[in-house]
Amino acid sequence: MAEPRFIIEASEAKSISQSTGLTLTQLLPNIVKSAQPLARVPISKFHVAAVGVGISGRIFIGVNVEFPNLPFHHTIHAEQFLLTNLSQNKETQLQYLAVSAAPCGHCRQFLQEIRGASDIPLLITNSDSSDFTSLSQFLSHPFGPHDLLPKHVPLFLEPRHNDLSLLDLEASIDDSIAGSNGYTNQLKVAALEAANESHAPYSESPSGVALLDSSGNVYKGSYMESAAYNPSLGPVQAAIVAFIAGFGAGDGAAEYGELVEAVLVEKEDAVVKQESTARLFLSSISPHCRFNVFLCTSNNKIKN
Amino acid sequence: MDRPVFTISPTEAKSMAESSSLTLPQLLPSLVTSAQSLARPPISNFRVAAVGLSQSGRILIGVNIEFPGLPLHHSIHAEQFLLTNLFLNNETNLHSFAVSAAPCGHCRQFLQELRGASDIQIIVTSESDPKFTSLSQFLPYRFGPHDLLPENAPLLLEPRNNGLKLKKKLANGVCNGNTVNEKLKIAALEALNKSHAPYSDSPSGVAILDCNGKIYKGCYVESAAFNPSLGPLQVAVVAFIAGGGGEYDEIVGAVLVEKDGAVVKQEGTVKLLLEAISPKCELQTFLCSYDQLN
Repeated sequence: MAEPRFIIEASEAKSISQSTGLTLTQLLPNIVKSAQPLARVPISKFHVAAVGVGISGRIFIGVNVEFPNLPFHHTIHAEQFLLTNLSQNKETQLQYLAVSAAPCGHCRQFLQEIRGASDIPLLITNSDSSDFTSLSQFLSHPFGPHDLLPKHVPLFLEPRHNDLSLLDLEASIDDSIAGSNGYTNQLKVAALEAANESHAPYSESPSGVALLDSSGNVYKGSYMESAAYNPSLGPVQAAIVAFIAGFGAGDGAAEYGELVEAVLVEKEDAVVKQESTARLFLSSISPHCRFNVFLCTSNNKIKN
Repeated sequence: MDRPVFTISPTEAKSMAESSSLTLPQLLPSLVTSAQSLARPPISNFRVAAVGLSQSGRILIGVNIEFPGLPLHHSIHAEQFLLTNLFLNNETNLHSFAVSAAPCGHCRQFLQELRGASDIQIIVTSESDPKFTSLSQFLPYRFGPHDLLPENAPLLLEPRNNGLKLKKKLANGVCNGNTVNEKLKIAALEALNKSHAPYSDSPSGVAILDCNGKIYKGCYVESAAFNPSLGPLQVAVVAFIAGGGGEYDEIVGAVLVEKDGAVVKQEGTVKLLLEAISPKCELQTFLCSYDQLN
C-alpha cells in the first residue's frame, strides 16, 4: 500500500505531467481522488481532500481530520490542512486549488487570509464542470483582513516574525516531570519558533505548539487566525497537521498514541489564551502525552 | 435604566413601518445602528448587529459577543445570536435581515441550517449601495443539511423532541436534595430535547440561573459543516443577554445535560467558558440516555 504523501515535489510533479501528457491542473482531479482515503473522519465518514499547486511547482495535499469526544470546533477541514501544509513548507503563494466537494462557508472564510484570495482559481472535482472558478464567485461581498488590518501588514503565507522571546519563569509544569528534560528544551525552542511565525494580527496573541513522537521527531504548528475569529485554527491542530503530513515514510500513518510530549508557547498577557483548550484536546487524543506551557513576551516590552 | 430591547412585536413593528411609510423589510436597516450599541465585543471593538424579520412580522435583534481569555471559537456572531433569538421566541423561519457588515463565511454556513436558507434576503448597511440580496448569492454551490440528512429530517427552528431522559444514577454521585438544582436540571434537559444536533447525534442543553432566580436555557445547535456549531452555554448566554441580563457574574448556577457516550462531549469546554465569565459559578453535569433505567 502506498505511504501517505502530502507533498509532491516540483520535479516529480513535472515528470508525472510529462509521462501522462496532462498539465499540472489536469492532474489535480486524480490527485484529489487518491488523497481522499487519507482523511481521518471517524464521525462523519465524509472524506474531503484539497489539493493545491504552489508557485514553486510543488503540489500539496490537505484532508479533513475529526476528533471524537470533543466539540466540533476542534475539527480540521481539508482546506485548513492544505493551507497549514503550504505554510509549514514555506510556500508563499497558492496558484490553483482543487477540492473534492464545494468548500463550506467556514473554509471560504479561512481562505480569505491569503493575499489575493479572491483570484484563487478553484476546481470542484465532484461537479460536472472541469473549469476553474475564482474564489470570489464562492464568497461575494467578502469580509476579510482588508476590513480590519492596515494594508502593509503581512498576510497568511507571507514571511513574518513576531519578535517574541521566552520568559524565564515556567508557567505550568505537568506533574509527571521531575526535572528538566533535554527534549523539553528542544520543544520549547521549536514552539517559540512556531509562535514567532504565527499569523494572529487580530488578537495579537500569537502562539505555537511543538510535538514530540516516540522516535524523537519534532513537529511544530503555529496558531492561524481568521478575520472572522471562529474559523481560526488552533496551534495544536496546526502541529497535528505537521505530524500527520510529516510522519516518516515506511512507518505507516501517524497515530496520536505516538505522541509523548507537547509544549505550548503563548504570550503572558494574551487576550486569546490557548492553554486550557490545548490541554483538553491533548488529553483526549493522546492521554499519555506530557504537556508543558511556557510563556513569552514581545521583545519591545523586554527592552523597556 | 431601560432594559435593552432585543425584539419588537409584530404590532409595534407594523406601526413603526406605517408611520415611516416603509415596508417591514425596508424598516430593518434603520434599526441597525442603535442595535450595534448592544454588542459586547471587548476584543475587536467591532460591533455587529443583525436585525431580522420573521414571517410572523416580529423584528428580532442579534449582536456579536466576544469572550476575552479564551480561544476565538467561543465567539458568538450577530447572525448566530439572531437565530438563537428566533428560537427563544418560537419563530420558525427568517424572512430577511439587515446587518452592519457583510456576513462572514462562518455565518453564511450557519444560516444553511434553516429550511429555505437560500431565499433569506440580506441587506448590508455598510455597503455604498445597499440592496436586498438572497443568501444563495452570498453562498453559491452551498454545502448544507441537504447533503447529509434525509429529506424529512427536521431542520433548525422546526419542532423536535430528542426523547432523552435523565439517567437515574447521578453522574457525579451528588445527593440531590436541592430544588433549584432540580429546576436547572429539568430546564437543561428540556433544552437538550430541542437541541438540533443531527450530525453527531449528540444533543445537549445548558440551564443557567441568575442572582434574581431567573433561569435561562440554551440548546446546542449544530452545523452541517461542523465548526460553525454553537455551544449550549453560548446559547444560554444569548438567552441571558436577550432576557435583560447584565454582567456575567450575575450567573450563579449552571447545569449541563449531555448524552451518555456522546461522540461530541461538551463538559470540559462548557467549564472553560463558565470559568472565564463567572469564576465563582460551578458547573454540574448530568448524563442522559434514551433508556431511563440505566
